[in-house]
Amino acid sequence: MSRTWWRIVALGVLAVVLVIVVTPYLWLIMTSFKSRIDALADAPVWFFTPTFEHYPKVFLDKGYLPLVLNSLIVACTSTGLSLIVGVPAAYVFARHNFLGKEDLFFFFLTTRMAPPVSVVVPMFLLFGFVGLTDTRTAVILAHSTFNLSLVVWMMRGFFADIPREVDEAAQMDGHTRAGMFVRVLLPLAAPGIAATAVLCFILSWNEFLYAFILAAFESRTLTVGIPGLVTPHGTLWGQVAAVAVVATLPIIVFTFLVQRHLVRGLTFGAVKG
Amino acid sequence: MSVMFKEVTKVFGDGTVALDRFSLQFDSGEFVVLLGPSGSGKTTACRILAGLEEATSGNIEVDGRDVTDLPPRERGMSMVFQNYALYSHKSVYDNIAYPLRVRGMPKSEIAGKVAEVSRLLQIDDVLRRRPAQLSGGQAQRVAVARALVWQPQICLMDEPLSNLDAILRLQTRTELKRLHHELRTTFVFVTHDQEEAMTLGTRIAVLNQGRLVQFAVPKEIYHRPVSRFVAEFIGRPAMNTIDGRIEDGIFRAKEFSLPVPGCADGKAVLGIRPEHIVPHAAAHAGALACRLDVLELVEPDMLLFVDCGGQPLIVRCTADFPELARGAEMYLELPAERLHFFDGETGLRQP
Repeated sequence: MSRTWWRIVALGVLAVVLVIVVTPYLWLIMTSFKSRIDALADAPVWFFTPTFEHYPKVFLDKGYLPLVLNSLIVACTSTGLSLIVGVPAAYVFARHNFLGKEDLFFFFLTTRMAPPVSVVVPMFLLFGFVGLTDTRTAVILAHSTFNLSLVVWMMRGFFADIPREVDEAAQMDGHTRAGMFVRVLLPLAAPGIAATAVLCFILSWNEFLYAFILAAFESRTLTVGIPGLVTPHGTLWGQVAAVAVVATLPIIVFTFLVQRHLVRGLTFGAVKG
Repeated sequence: MSVMFKEVTKVFGDGTVALDRFSLQFDSGEFVVLLGPSGSGKTTACRILAGLEEATSGNIEVDGRDVTDLPPRERGMSMVFQNYALYSHKSVYDNIAYPLRVRGMPKSEIAGKVAEVSRLLQIDDVLRRRPAQLSGGQAQRVAVARALVWQPQICLMDEPLSNLDAILRLQTRTELKRLHHELRTTFVFVTHDQEEAMTLGTRIAVLNQGRLVQFAVPKEIYHRPVSRFVAEFIGRPAMNTIDGRIEDGIFRAKEFSLPVPGCADGKAVLGIRPEHIVPHAAAHAGALACRLDVLELVEPDMLLFVDCGGQPLIVRCTADFPELARGAEMYLELPAERLHFFDGETGLRQP
């Protein structure tokens, strides 16, 4: 009896959470198909004749399609770059001892403590100095600064969970140190790398401030494109919603694809035996 | 082929001296056991031989060739780890085949080699499984198979049996011995278990505090331990040792005295193994009088914990010895040829 009752309570709570989480997103999707009148109506309009004008308008006429490509390039490259540098670094942190190791490790975290606003202006000046403003490279490098610390912090736990003897077994089996790392440890750490990669991708894809300051024109990303739809004549809500829907799609797809790895990945590194 | 440790010293970063001028030499085909308590340096010696640890000073030679600075893969050795260290993302077959693949053997030959070694270790029915689906004993065999499949010159084993339960440990021990007889590969086996060492080793190297204490065949280690440490470390229950003095050919300790003709005077330690003491229920000529404290039946043997004038002694005898009551008077005969004497200061064996 009481079990059934608890089940009902649990389902009730879940339903409430679901409504809270999903309603805004449904509202966003609906808005992207609403006419301007419907979108700005005083009382929420739930039933309306859908219009399909916003998507072609914003992506083709206003030329937002390349922004999707910019976002993809920036997110993928910064993720890849952070992994290439961060994964071997995390391995060293997990396996080797050197002077000031924990301090250096903490230093990686402190790079995330300063508010981005305080860092972005010097960054803008630096990139300007080397002639990189309004390039994807600038945004990629900026995003890599925060993604790199994430990679090092997450991957250290993964490597620490792989028994040291596995490294040694691989060397006894005939590998060089580099071969051991690439051929044995990376495949073993793959679930963790996947989880970390997804998080990096999401962080970079969603990032606004760095991208906005460093590349506001040619190389701007999708998130930076949205404020451009706030015009002196009012906000184009239908188009904003259309861009937002496209911007959230990869995140949703990615999360579903690697959901299992993500959960395992995030707990695997944290819980140590 | 021979392996030689020449004055190998290992000092770790925190100042711990794991090996202190350790020298050892043995031949091809031997089953050498490195035996010692924890912290004695036995694992370090094994890892330095493997190339997984760098020696602080000293050399290691294999076949007269200095391998001190060679990486593990160029030493022709394999290793079985205590926690097996199998590749959890590969099947059992791929685990065993891995060293062959890394060494670039053609696929067709690999299949034959893996089949052969897995038959030898009776794991041919689990080749498709993942390591996580294996029992402890099976995982152990896979680790051994992986270490033997490429026919290394030397197979190193770092406490490979200590993660197995008691029954499985005995079985695997016997199998390792059989394997050694069949393959004639050189084995170096690290353990803290003196019984494992006695049963497996063709020769045993006893280590203590980073130094080699004795290197000999099991029989000699048991019958002629070079020091009090070896004497007490080998054999269960441990050898009885009594601190005392020798004066005018008589060994004295507390209320205990024993004529020991031909021994030099001075502080001395007398040792006798529990199984070498002959107990008598009735008075016996030349036997020491004592009282029974506790009696433990360990079929087919019996352990008697007795009190000899304040000196506790353990006696091991067959279970047909009469079951005396606690506190009962009994007599112990200590055969002169079974006595060991060690220097009271240095602990070294006296002739």
